[in-house]
Amino acid sequence: MIGAMAVPADAAPAEDMRRIRRDPEAGMIGGVCAGIAGRAGIDPIIIRLAFVAAALFSGVGLIAYALAWIFIPARQGGTVAARLRPARGNIEAVLGIGLLVLSAALLLRAVGWWVSDAVVWPAIAAAIGGALVWRQFVGPAGAAAPAEAPRGPVQAETRVEPLPGARRLSVAGVGVTLVLGAALVFLWANGALDAAGDAVLATVVVVVALGLILAPVWWRLGRNLAAERAERIRSQERAELGAHLHDSVLQTLALMQRRADDPREVAALARRQERELRAWLLDRPPARAGESLAGALEAAAAKVEESHGGGIEVVTVGDCALDDRAEAVLAAAREAILNAAKFAGDAGPIDVFAEVTPQRIEVFVRDRGPGFDPGSLPDDRQGVRESIVGRMERHGGRTEIRTGADGGTEVELSLERGAS
Amino acid sequence: MSGRPRDTVSLVAGLAIAGLGVLLVLDALEALDLSLAYLAPAVTATAGAILLVHGLSRSRER
Repeated sequence: MIGAMAVPADAAPAEDMRRIRRDPEAGMIGGVCAGIAGRAGIDPIIIRLAFVAAALFSGVGLIAYALAWIFIPARQGGTVAARLRPARGNIEAVLGIGLLVLSAALLLRAVGWWVSDAVVWPAIAAAIGGALVWRQFVGPAGAAAPAEAPRGPVQAETRVEPLPGARRLSVAGVGVTLVLGAALVFLWANGALDAAGDAVLATVVVVVALGLILAPVWWRLGRNLAAERAERIRSQERAELGAHLHDSVLQTLALMQRRADDPREVAALARRQERELRAWLLDRPPARAGESLAGALEAAAAKVEESHGGGIEVVTVGDCALDDRAEAVLAAAREAILNAAKFAGDAGPIDVFAEVTPQRIEVFVRDRGPGFDPGSLPDDRQGVRESIVGRMERHGGRTEIRTGADGGTEVELSLERGAS
Repeated sequence: MSGRPRDTVSLVAGLAIAGLGVLLVLDALEALDLSLAYLAPAVTATAGAILLVHGLSRSRER
């Protein structure tokens, strides 16, 4: 049979591939750095060094890591926040995390790893507010996915029901307030609100704050556009599939119905359609009979099949250009296939196996007919003697014809590619 | 050792409060100078650890 087995596509949805996922198994603490590095395709050590450097800057890295740990979902399961959210008792856990983060910030402030109260506290408030806003618009992993999407048992357990609209808006409002409040505090603490000359700084900070608020909306818009594009591509693929089925398979089936009284013709039509469909399914370019040995061999087998009926299964391993030597092997193989179709075509399918290596070309043609003795061929039968054996010998190759004890003939053609 | 299941919440709470107590004792003995700048993070960390472990254990029981 022509071709190879199709490898099943990866079942992981493309949506999952685009999202950042924590990788606790590969990570050192919560798998945040490993997850980000895996998504970006870089070494996790780079992300870890970035977090450490940010941690040395007034502990911003620690806080960012803690927030990422809470809000970025793990590969197996949802976010920590999603696991905590449904229960009333989990408010305690959230408060506990908040107090631990606060404790870390206070400790860093006490030991002197601190930039300024006017910078760090607004930054923390803005980070929390931004996280709240982001979460309401982008949504947790479990809630964002469509309801009909198949889910594993772990995901099903950790799936988070989306918040009601009013509560969602109120949480987003708290986030917006936090971000704007932090921006104003930052401006006030730095004296930017008093000095008109610092209007530029104020504008920049406001723009950054607005960007932080609007970024989730833009993000969501981008995701929707991507989903729409994916749906359009799927629709085009369906249309293309339908058109192909109509032009090829349905037409052939109609033709087969009209030729139902001629089994040989029906079989030839079915074989031709099968070859075409396999080539299309495997996304293989059509065989170029005039350019490569494999293509020419398949074309020759198809032609013999159409003219003589029966089934001819061609398997090729490797390929080469059709030079003089390959042409000689091709002509001998074509003659062997023709003989097999003529004298053993009714006994079963004919197998053709060709292997092309840098050193040699080998072709095996095997049929299931009654077999014959090559030495007993009459002198006027030039097909085997000249077209196969003689042709191969003239080009420095050899031919072996074997007949099994219970019938069946195998013609082996072998030619060294470097030989003169 | 008895076969009684370990109570993680009590264990963490006990250790955290004991650690805080040690700090306060050392401060009272003037072995170290525990100012408010250091006491505040110690207290918040203790409370935070207890709350976190308690909350997590309750969610696990569910």
